[in-house]
Amino acid sequence: MTAPLLELRNLAGGYPPVAVFRNVNLTVAVTESVGLFGPNGQGKTTLLKTVAGTLDPWEGDVRVDGERLNAEGRMRSRTSRHLNYDLFRKRRIRARDVVRSGVIYVMQGNLLFPEMTVKEVIEIAPAASVGRSGIAAMRDMVDELFPRLGERWHSRIRYLSGGERQMVSIAVGLLALPRLLILDEPTLGLSPKLRVELSAAIAGIRTMGMALLIVDQNIEFLTGLIDRLYLFDHGTVDREIGSGRMPSRQEIMAMMFEARH
Amino acid sequence: MSADTFFFVGASGLILGGLYALMATGLAVVWTTLGVFNFAHGAFLALGAYVAWQVSDGSGGPATFLLAACVSAAVLFCLGYVSHFALVKPFERKKNMVLLSVITTLAAAAIIENAILLIWGPRDKQVPAAVEGSFELFGSALRYQDILALVTALAALVVLATFLRRTATGRSMRAVAQNREAAELMGLRTSHLFALTIGISTAMAALAGVFIGSLRFMNPSFGADPLMKSLIVVILGGVARFTSPIAAAFVVGLAEAFSTFFLGLYWSPAVLFGMMIAVLVVKPEGLFSRRTKTL
Ligand SMILES: Nc1ncnc2c1ncn2[C@@H]1O[C@H](COP(=O)(O)OP(=O)(O)O)[C@@H](O)[C@H]1O
Ligand SMILES: [Mg+2]
Repeated sequence: MTAPLLELRNLAGGYPPVAVFRNVNLTVAVTESVGLFGPNGQGKTTLLKTVAGTLDPWEGDVRVDGERLNAEGRMRSRTSRHLNYDLFRKRRIRARDVVRSGVIYVMQGNLLFPEMTVKEVIEIAPAASVGRSGIAAMRDMVDELFPRLGERWHSRIRYLSGGERQMVSIAVGLLALPRLLILDEPTLGLSPKLRVELSAAIAGIRTMGMALLIVDQNIEFLTGLIDRLYLFDHGTVDREIGSGRMPSRQEIMAMMFEARH
Repeated sequence: MSADTFFFVGASGLILGGLYALMATGLAVVWTTLGVFNFAHGAFLALGAYVAWQVSDGSGGPATFLLAACVSAAVLFCLGYVSHFALVKPFERKKNMVLLSVITTLAAAAIIENAILLIWGPRDKQVPAAVEGSFELFGSALRYQDILALVTALAALVVLATFLRRTATGRSMRAVAQNREAAELMGLRTSHLFALTIGISTAMAALAGVFIGSLRFMNPSFGADPLMKSLIVVILGGVARFTSPIAAAFVVGLAEAFSTFFLGLYWSPAVLFGMMIAVLVVKPEGLFSRRTKTL
């Protein structure tokens, strides 16, 4: 059997010295769409940032195609009044390696680059995929998925609405030609109408054969877009809901409460 | 005051303004991008002038001056690029990074200044001008070199602005200035872009240094005064837009020229600092406001 596209093994991390998540095991297969659902403030974003390489993992591995992207072993967290350990301690994972491996993380509540226009941002977006074929096709795809962006082509990002900004963020992610696109709370603060529009766009991305890992608080939105669901609670992945029938909102809530009490 | 003197003082103010704009824009770009105030900027300026002096080897003329200026800018670009990895990057994950970078850049300033002293000695020097002589305009004599300084400064600023707006690298530099994390997640090489930003800023300082060194005399610590003026410019104008320090540079240049003429050389710093304090009191957000980062 081939290795999954993304595999997290016993991953732990946080904002030193505060541990936020631990013991996370999770896989995303090629062309699979996976959801991650859990209450607010439990560490989903922290987990995804660690996967994306902007935070160092404390323990465990991030593997893409079976290859480990992080430095081996545990992070030693030493502090001293006299020595700048940061000077000697290398990053344990590099965002650039993660991006290169084809895993793209679209940040939660992404402000992107407030003073740049949509055009400028979209034009520099393929930074990671320069020279690869398929960028032109992806540009057409982006135009098709998010026709609204064409209307706001020359507006600065900070004058866009939350929904429009979310679309730019996803478009930027797509232009890196990812194999796995990680979306962190894409519907946060969106109106129901926009949510439907976004849902259609993400469904469109899914049909392109791209793997997805989606975190969202809106369970109806989420279950409509995924093959498999992980429940995240108390800083770890609690349980996995297999590829059969997606449970309803009530069932999921019941499961989470069961686990807690 | 006659119209002639007014014109003459105004012209010298504009020339000063152009050089301050060149320097202050470099400082402002580094500040908005890295959140570091580069206290070594004045020392880089001085070093740039000395490199040009070395290259031109006592002879003037347009070709030699052009070569000297280009070599100086290139050398200082490389030094600036490297100094990101020496002065800023080791501390970038520290919480008190701003304070640490004050110390490291001050240290770099001291090291560079003393290196200049060791290599070239304490005696005053002057970079030979590209074009000697002067011409008469509205009854006052203007040196060709002065005009060349102003034109070059403005041209360099236009080139930089165009580079930041139009090229992929320039846009990436703005992106990393506005949201480092998002830039990283997009796959931009953040360290390279930061280093590039410092390199461009020190190259601009070098250019300013070459001209100041050709218009006045230079000694190992002659960068301190332009650094001080640029600090005033950056505080006065803020860094909200690319053009705000440029506009402020001309205000400071003119204010310096007129106060030097009317009140004397020793009073012009007092006037400038007075202006700065007034701005801080009345419109404090001009000071290092990072709320709007336009770059
Ligand atoms: N930059 C930060 N520094 C320190 N703690 C943080 C930071 N960001 C988030 N946290 C904390 O980490 C925990 C997990 O937050 P987050 O990962 O955003 O949760 P979720 O995405 O599941 O809502 C929270 O308790 C939050 O307060
Ligand atoms: Mg979150």
